[in-house]
Amino acid sequence: MKEKIKAFLESDLLEKYLLGNTSRLETSQVERYIVMYPEVRKNFEELQENLEIFARLHSLRSPAGLKEKILRRIKSQDLGRRKFRRFAIAASITAFIFAGSSYFFWNQNMSLMNENTIVNNRIQNLEADMKQQLEDVRNQFIVLNNPQTKKFYVNGNAKAKDLKAVAYINPVKKLSYINVRSLPNLPEDKVYQMWAEVNGEMVNLGIIKKIEDRDRLLPLPYGKNAISYITIEPTGGNNSPTVQNIVANIKY
Amino acid sequence: MSILLEKHIVELLQERNEKAISLLYDHYGDTLFGVAYKVVKDEELAQDIVQESFVKIWKKSDSYDPTKAKLFTWLFRITRNTAIDKLRSVKTKTDKEIQIDVSNVYKIGVDSIRPEFMDIQENLGKIESKYQIVLDALFFQGMTQQEASDELDIPLGTIKSRLKIGLRELKKIYGSSYVVLALLTLIS
Repeated sequence: MKEKIKAFLESDLLEKYLLGNTSRLETSQVERYIVMYPEVRKNFEELQENLEIFARLHSLRSPAGLKEKILRRIKSQDLGRRKFRRFAIAASITAFIFAGSSYFFWNQNMSLMNENTIVNNRIQNLEADMKQQLEDVRNQFIVLNNPQTKKFYVNGNAKAKDLKAVAYINPVKKLSYINVRSLPNLPEDKVYQMWAEVNGEMVNLGIIKKIEDRDRLLPLPYGKNAISYITIEPTGGNNSPTVQNIVANIKY
Repeated sequence: MSILLEKHIVELLQERNEKAISLLYDHYGDTLFGVAYKVVKDEELAQDIVQESFVKIWKKSDSYDPTKAKLFTWLFRITRNTAIDKLRSVKTKTDKEIQIDVSNVYKIGVDSIRPEFMDIQENLGKIESKYQIVLDALFFQGMTQQEASDELDIPLGTIKSRLKIGLRELKKIYGSSYVVLALLTLIS
């Protein structure tokens, strides 16, 4: 161990460290030796004292005004630093507010975009509906206004005596409509359902809901020698008509 | 420098009290100016160096660790390194001038030496120049012993022994002048 310390003291690492000329690795080595070995520590303290004495021997009267210059510079630097700190605080607050409001606006933008999509879809649906209805109305007008249109009065059979409907068939335009004007009341678990037999095929035309608009025309699929039926079916409708429950039929 | 005063200054530095710089200047200003002058051998440049060094001292005050080095050692390092950097950046100085100029040992700043340091200056003269040169090379020029050996064309063993003797001689001055020096530092 003594050899190690001797070798260390003989190298000029300690002197280099004294002047601040050691590399990072050397610095940590020297500092470790100073802490660990009293002999090295003593040497270093002596070196420090000698350095101070030697330096003091070379003292020179410093020029007048240099002290004031230094103090002024330090004051102005501190002031600058304080100003900068204040500026930095203000800047970070601004940045924070900006980030917060950006997030807020982004969020709002996203929800507006979503809403916009919903509204657009609704408009498209409405447009499609309108077109469909307009087309219906146009067709209804054609049918009703055309001299070639035949008008059939439909009455219910014994099972539904009060059933009254008017069918309009136009073989030229190949359009047919039915206007159900009155339907007898049914128990809760029964509904009226309409069917059409077109070209030998049975087509389900759906359930006739409560007649709110008596002037409404329901479109019927057109076919030569087609027959339309109204049947009584269980609530929810049936897949095929129950023949014994036919209450009315329209041949056209 | 009294240990108490040194402690006081360190405390002020750590509290970032500007009074620390004022006290530091009062107690070390002339010495650090001397150090800077010794390296650059130009009074105006030395002034700039001292100014820059004090600004660095103020900025780095929280990096000073009293358990690792004496306050003066830290101040000396900053000043000397600032001086050496300055010297490198000033192109007007040639490499030759940076090298040790033996004749300067006696001439430097004689006009501006404080009268109260005259005794010490005389004492400095008591150290033989061959020891002074070695101390100078190692402390001010920041040479390693090997570099000093190469530069001064003196064998490494001789450098080592001259350093030892030089330090011993310094001790003698230290012994005789310490009381005066300590008093002067306290008064100034």
